[in-house]
Amino acid sequence: MPAIDKQQYDVLNVVALKKLAPVSAVAVSTRLEEAEVTSAFSSLAQADLLVVVGGSAMPTDDAAQVLDQHAADFYANVRTDPEVLALVERFDQVNDAFLTTMSSWQQVKVGDRRVANDHTDEDYDAKVIDQLDRLVARLGPLIEAFVGFDARFSTYRERFDQALEKVDQGATEYVSSPTVESVHNVWFEFHEDLLRTLGRERQA
Amino acid sequence: MSVAQQTVTETFTVRFEDADSQDVGRLGGKGAGLAEMTAHGFPVPPGFVITTAACRHFLDHGVLPPGFDDQVAAQLALLERRTGKSFGAGPEPLLLSVRSGAPVSMPGMMDTILDLGLSRESAVQLAEATHDTRFVADLVRRFHTMYAETVLGALEGPDGVMALLDGFRPDDDAGDAFDRMWAFCRDALEDQVDEPVPTDPRAQLRGAIEAVFGSWNTRRARTYRAHHKISDDVGTAVVVQMMVFGNLGDDSGSGVAFTRDPITGKDELYGEFLISSQGEDVVSGEFTPVPIREAEQSLPGPFADLRKRCAELERRRGDVLDIEFTIERSRLYFLQVRSAKRTAEAAVRIANDMWGSEVVDPLRALSGVSTDHIRQIQRPRFVPDEIEAARGDGRVVTVGIGACPGQVHGALCFDADAAKEQAEQGTAVILARPNTSPADLHGMIAAEGIVTATGGSTSHAAVVARALGTTCVVGCGDLDIDPAGGTLRAGDIVLRAGDQVSLDGTTGELFSGTLPSTGSASVSESFTSLLDRCRRASGATVLARVTLPGQAAEAQAIDSHGMVTALDDVLAAAGRFEALAAALSAGATADTADFAAVESIVAEEFEALLAATAEADMTVRAFDFLADDTHELLDRSLLSARPQLALPLGVPGFVEAQLGGLARAADATGRTAPLGFALRHVTDVGEARELTAAHRRVLARYPKSPVVPGVYATSASAVRVAAELAEEAPVVWLDLKLLMARDWGIPAWLLLTAQPLDDYLRAGRLNGDPRAQLGDGVRSLLESLTAAPGPMPGIRLSMPVADSLVAELYAVGCRTFAADLAEVQPLTLALGRAALAAG
Repeated sequence: MPAIDKQQYDVLNVVALKKLAPVSAVAVSTRLEEAEVTSAFSSLAQADLLVVVGGSAMPTDDAAQVLDQHAADFYANVRTDPEVLALVERFDQVNDAFLTTMSSWQQVKVGDRRVANDHTDEDYDAKVIDQLDRLVARLGPLIEAFVGFDARFSTYRERFDQALEKVDQGATEYVSSPTVESVHNVWFEFHEDLLRTLGRERQA
Repeated sequence: MSVAQQTVTETFTVRFEDADSQDVGRLGGKGAGLAEMTAHGFPVPPGFVITTAACRHFLDHGVLPPGFDDQVAAQLALLERRTGKSFGAGPEPLLLSVRSGAPVSMPGMMDTILDLGLSRESAVQLAEATHDTRFVADLVRRFHTMYAETVLGALEGPDGVMALLDGFRPDDDAGDAFDRMWAFCRDALEDQVDEPVPTDPRAQLRGAIEAVFGSWNTRRARTYRAHHKISDDVGTAVVVQMMVFGNLGDDSGSGVAFTRDPITGKDELYGEFLISSQGEDVVSGEFTPVPIREAEQSLPGPFADLRKRCAELERRRGDVLDIEFTIERSRLYFLQVRSAKRTAEAAVRIANDMWGSEVVDPLRALSGVSTDHIRQIQRPRFVPDEIEAARGDGRVVTVGIGACPGQVHGALCFDADAAKEQAEQGTAVILARPNTSPADLHGMIAAEGIVTATGGSTSHAAVVARALGTTCVVGCGDLDIDPAGGTLRAGDIVLRAGDQVSLDGTTGELFSGTLPSTGSASVSESFTSLLDRCRRASGATVLARVTLPGQAAEAQAIDSHGMVTALDDVLAAAGRFEALAAALSAGATADTADFAAVESIVAEEFEALLAATAEADMTVRAFDFLADDTHELLDRSLLSARPQLALPLGVPGFVEAQLGGLARAADATGRTAPLGFALRHVTDVGEARELTAAHRRVLARYPKSPVVPGVYATSASAVRVAAELAEEAPVVWLDLKLLMARDWGIPAWLLLTAQPLDDYLRAGRLNGDPRAQLGDGVRSLLESLTAAPGPMPGIRLSMPVADSLVAELYAVGCRTFAADLAEVQPLTLALGRAALAAG
């Protein structure tokens, strides 16, 4: 199993989260210079942990295992930190509320059924967006706690802020669209990252 | 008048019954709505509005206006007298709901605070009235949490409070319960808030009002206003209203009513009711409410009132409503009235019924149905009998949770990469995964449907599928999907990659095999009837774009008035581009190419399509070497070698060959009805003359040819001479997309997608959206046509139909349209609406 340093871990981690990641996106999510990302791409490619296609990186089948092993090392102290553990306890609840809110954005209740939200009711949409904003705010203390161990986690805060700002500007695809840096995408990546950092499995 | 004088004399509060419901600017949307309801005698709980003027003062000066507290106190006294209840005291405690209500709704504004006014004394009294100390403890919990979160900015509710609540019983001592619950909440929230929730009800009210006003300037509200061009000076109103209680015994309760069934649209009161409960209980899912039909047996009086009021309010608003109501000691109160959300099927049925009822005017009746509803309804769906048959035959592989509706079929695929690959080759694919992650996105985008073994209705797969609008079923617990082995097992059934399956995103069923689908033709009587009404209202002619014979049959099934097609589309679909290019490259010069071969290709490929269209109105657009799609598909060297082909009549022989081919196909199918043949990019009468000359030469060879020459105007110059062109070539169409592209200086293909134009518009770089409005240039062009002699040319729409654009086209006098097959029915609705709006 190839050994990787922390910078390589950060890059490979983002590539694994995004699956197909251009240099620019990895730079944003790792706070590295694009040149550093490019050089990490080539060393990781040499180690057969990713392949670069047209400037974007894709993880190989080995990437997940290497990341898991190194996470155990890099984040051993996070995994036993009482503050982090207390906040993580609460995460599942916030996560459930987040997913429910995401459904409310996409679908509205009609009697006992749900139909696609056609976004004609501004009052309804405004309430859902407020709720999302609150939930992202509730994630704040946990992100802060992670930042205390690894500064790269602060990029989640920035990415959430940017997505919500777009939403407020009327670009409502930034709520749940899978093809932009939407609140849902950032949340999903954070969740996956959290699981790897703590060495946990996603709940069924 | 000086500022000081003004603030002394101005009133900042107004009772619902005294307010002018037209004055939305002062009352805000919610306040105006309540004033209107009160004025018309609808049973809304009494209350008052603190106007936007008070908010503006607060924002300007950082404090509430002088005399404000006295005005609020006076309003409270009036409310106490009117209701016989006391704020913060007994014997009948008055509790309030406090809500923000700006003239326009926006995110970032403070939401509702309920049960405000809870003091120890009122809590004890309330426990006595409800004989339920546990309820009062719960009320304290709810109020405390809500106030801490909305006014004081706490992020989390009091930890462990539910465990405390569970310890209370209905007959516990109320004073003690209040003390314990209050202290618990206060201590649990201590770290999160700078100050505790006030115990004095008047301080609670003041805090809530200031919080509403303060929320006007949250970062989010400001951003929203800036981007929606709403002035920061508008301010918000505050609605203060008496809380009513549905849990005061068996003569009380809470419910939700829809004035019609929001699922089917059937004209009958629909909804549910929970006796002796508060509104939160109805939606919590903890208790099971009963249908209104059953509940009304026990409280006939209030429910008779409900029925009467619902009908009256629906008539008045001309819309189906969703009404939250409470019955407090046999007295009915409306808590919230909104336009009811409804399924697409219900929207159509309601619009049709209301139009027919003549109680509501037709334009209002149409307001609840959108072009998207029509698109949803006409999505292909399984033939009902086939579903039954498949169930009967044991072809249901598994039943999961329907996460995104739709009925689709395709080849089973277990891997996102493979799904994408197969979809690109034109195979419909159903992607089946144990679960999905962002890594599967490309496959999810490519798939017709998605199935996952794990996950619930909020899983990654479900959220992404809904964002994509892709049919999706999740949580098929008994599915064992093995992507590596390429198998899917459910009990004894084993399916392999490539096997055909069908998926129902509503029922959650996965079937083996292909379930046949219906076309988009008439799905219900209401649907047919509504579109008929729209057709009659607009008097417009709508033709459908078709390429394949099957589409021609479908176009006739949806009652389109005829069809248009394009020669390049038909040849591309038949895979004849290479043969065509070879024929056009033959010979020494462009004019001596193998036109006989071209004519034969056209004749062969049009026979089936013309046979399917029978004698229906039909126009064929001539081959266009400049069309974006053609450009992509055709070998570019042809145009470099023979650039004459890029001009509409640069190679008359090619035009003649197309005319000849169509004449032969028409002859073979026995068509005698006129068959239009329209050439794009013509701008001059000289070109039109050459076209008719070519047509005459063809007529000499095929005297029975029903072909009528025409043009597709794609530029302002062509539109300006449209009448003269029509004298030569009588079939005249305007290609709106190309006209718009030229006029706005935006490539035509960009008009077909959301991005990057959406971002461009949001950045404020364009003052209008060329996909949704004509713009001055094209509008004045079209207006000039109305003044010109001769019939108005037909409008070819190639973008998804936008209501606003259709309204403009209708208003300038356009009455003939052609649209993509799937857009014909949405366009029919939009034209009906446009005609009604035009009066």
